[in-house]
Amino acid sequence: MNKIDQKINGLKKCNRIGLMTHLVLGYPNPMDSLKLAKILIDAGSDFVELQIPFSDPIADGPTIMHASEVALRNGATVTKCLELLQKITVYSPIPVLVMCYYNTVFSFGVEEFCHRMKSLNISGLIVPDIPVDEEKNEKFVHFCLKYDLYLIRVISPASSKQRLTLNAKRAKGFVYCISRFGVTGTKSTLDPTLQNYLSNVKKYFSIPIAVGFGISKKEHIDSLQNKADIAIVGSAIIDQIEKSRNYRQNYLDTVKKFIINIKH
Amino acid sequence: MKGRFGIYGGRYAPEMLIPALEELEETYIHAKKDKRFQKEFLSLLYGFSGRPTPLTFAKNLTVMLGGAKIYFKNEGLNITGAHKITHCLGQALLAKRMGKKRLIAETGAGQHGVATATVSAKFGFECTVYMGEVDVARQRSNVFWMQQLGAKVIPVSFGSRTLKDAVNAALKDWITNVKDTHYLLGSTLGPHPFPTINRDFQSIVGREVASQLNKMEGRDPDYIIACVGGGSNAMGIFSHFIKKKGVALIGVEAGGKGKRFGMHAARFNGGRVGIIEGYKSIFLQDKDGNVAPTHSISAGLDYPGIGPEVAYLKDKQRITFVSVTDREVVDAFRLLSRNEGIIPALESAHAVAHVIKLAPILAKDKIIVVNISGRGDKDIFTIADALKDKEWNEFLENKVKENKKHEQNRPKNKRT
Repeated sequence: MNKIDQKINGLKKCNRIGLMTHLVLGYPNPMDSLKLAKILIDAGSDFVELQIPFSDPIADGPTIMHASEVALRNGATVTKCLELLQKITVYSPIPVLVMCYYNTVFSFGVEEFCHRMKSLNISGLIVPDIPVDEEKNEKFVHFCLKYDLYLIRVISPASSKQRLTLNAKRAKGFVYCISRFGVTGTKSTLDPTLQNYLSNVKKYFSIPIAVGFGISKKEHIDSLQNKADIAIVGSAIIDQIEKSRNYRQNYLDTVKKFIINIKH
Repeated sequence: MKGRFGIYGGRYAPEMLIPALEELEETYIHAKKDKRFQKEFLSLLYGFSGRPTPLTFAKNLTVMLGGAKIYFKNEGLNITGAHKITHCLGQALLAKRMGKKRLIAETGAGQHGVATATVSAKFGFECTVYMGEVDVARQRSNVFWMQQLGAKVIPVSFGSRTLKDAVNAALKDWITNVKDTHYLLGSTLGPHPFPTINRDFQSIVGREVASQLNKMEGRDPDYIIACVGGGSNAMGIFSHFIKKKGVALIGVEAGGKGKRFGMHAARFNGGRVGIIEGYKSIFLQDKDGNVAPTHSISAGLDYPGIGPEVAYLKDKQRITFVSVTDREVVDAFRLLSRNEGIIPALESAHAVAHVIKLAPILAKDKIIVVNISGRGDKDIFTIADALKDKEWNEFLENKVKENKKHEQNRPKNKRT
């Protein structure tokens, strides 16, 4: 059984919403990114999503874009990211998912990439710029299946009936629902139409629902209780790190407190 | 509609954009069959943009180079000074059909931005143009004109701060505002259907060349030369001739400061297959697939990717590629200005730089057509710099002094 399913079953038993936290590998530097990942895991994340930085991240807002630029500048090559992932998965009792853009996969070789992810004990992949329509040319879904990686489908409020149906057919683990029209980044409030959108998604997907983009507070997560199965927090963590760095505080502590606070 | 050119092309877009791309494709399929649409498009090209653009025999250059006969297709005589207005008019009509209220665009040299701002003014769209900070600095005059046309110009400060980052910024805006916004993508690249739509709109250039040259020479050209950034002007002049095997098609890439990685934007010198900004094609990239830095004297040619159909036609050996250096481009610019009275854009001067090499080695009965995709007014600062023009520098210094003086003399409370 894939670790993602195990975790989801566990969450169902205690009837609580899961938390997936996100980090850019190699940000702000390789050493600290390893420490940060361990903190996210220890502070109570249920899943951790680690992003391989890419030069042109089209689905990301200013926060994650900046973090990606910093990581790349500080030497976060794919080789370096794989080393970090190795250390993190050995340490992690929770499922580790890798987020990246498709050119990173393609450049590595699609099968080689999937094979390597499996051997690193990665449970799932999140790749926003490879729609299922390109499967016959890319065979990405095929190789994810072959190596038991859950390729998480990402859908948005813009997704039509046809798109939801098409994605539901290929979906594994959980479905990543983007909470609003836009790129990643924090907002003070969640979109008021979110509830309708999520109940519509449930008509098409029988697997658990994860909600991401713009989730930055405990209230946001509380408001998703019973509406979604997993809340995803990404940019908000990087915002915390940036803020502490500006004030020259220990950002490792800040992140730890932030996660504990958002979860309880 | 076909979204692939061999292995290239496709629609590698995030799910947020797929419905908008599907809507655009459907709207275009209908418009293509609709005679009223075609009529309106053509009447705008002839009645507003100034088509047909002239095909001019370059008598002096032909004699000077002593080989093949050279003709220039002067797209610089379009209302906005370059070929970009053609696909902007076409896409603006599509945006109107889709009921969009707002147009966004990326721009490098500013020509596509000016053209988008122009159609926005004409059709009453709100308009935002993304432009890399580096390009804002070197193409200031086009920024000014876009603003005069009512567009909001947003300088892009991330990445390499050039054209590809402007594309990224525009894509992010589109993801956020997709309900009422059309992304007027400015070249034959990006996710399907953009490469096909822009090629179709631009293909009028090649058709005009065929009929104009037929009147003057009674036949097709032997060679057609065009500069290639994304491929919009090249596919515009090439596409009519692709099936005519006797016509050699030559694309000229930006050789920049030399062959070293990062010093040029010649995708066929060190580029490889990748999937970036929504499509599969040849990209200059590092071993991890991150987009590589590029350089060119012209802001419109320093893009690290190339249109998917162009890459396909290169593989099929239907288009041959060469590159020319910044220095050769400046020389070509001077030669054309002095001897033919045509001031080309620096992008187009790349094509001229190659004809200077090619014409002398061809027989006198051969005919070459060169696409002058735009005129050079916008490049006044870059060219004056490259030519180290002393008087121009003095003028700039005086202008700055004068402006400062005016500011100081202005009464302090009245800031009008």
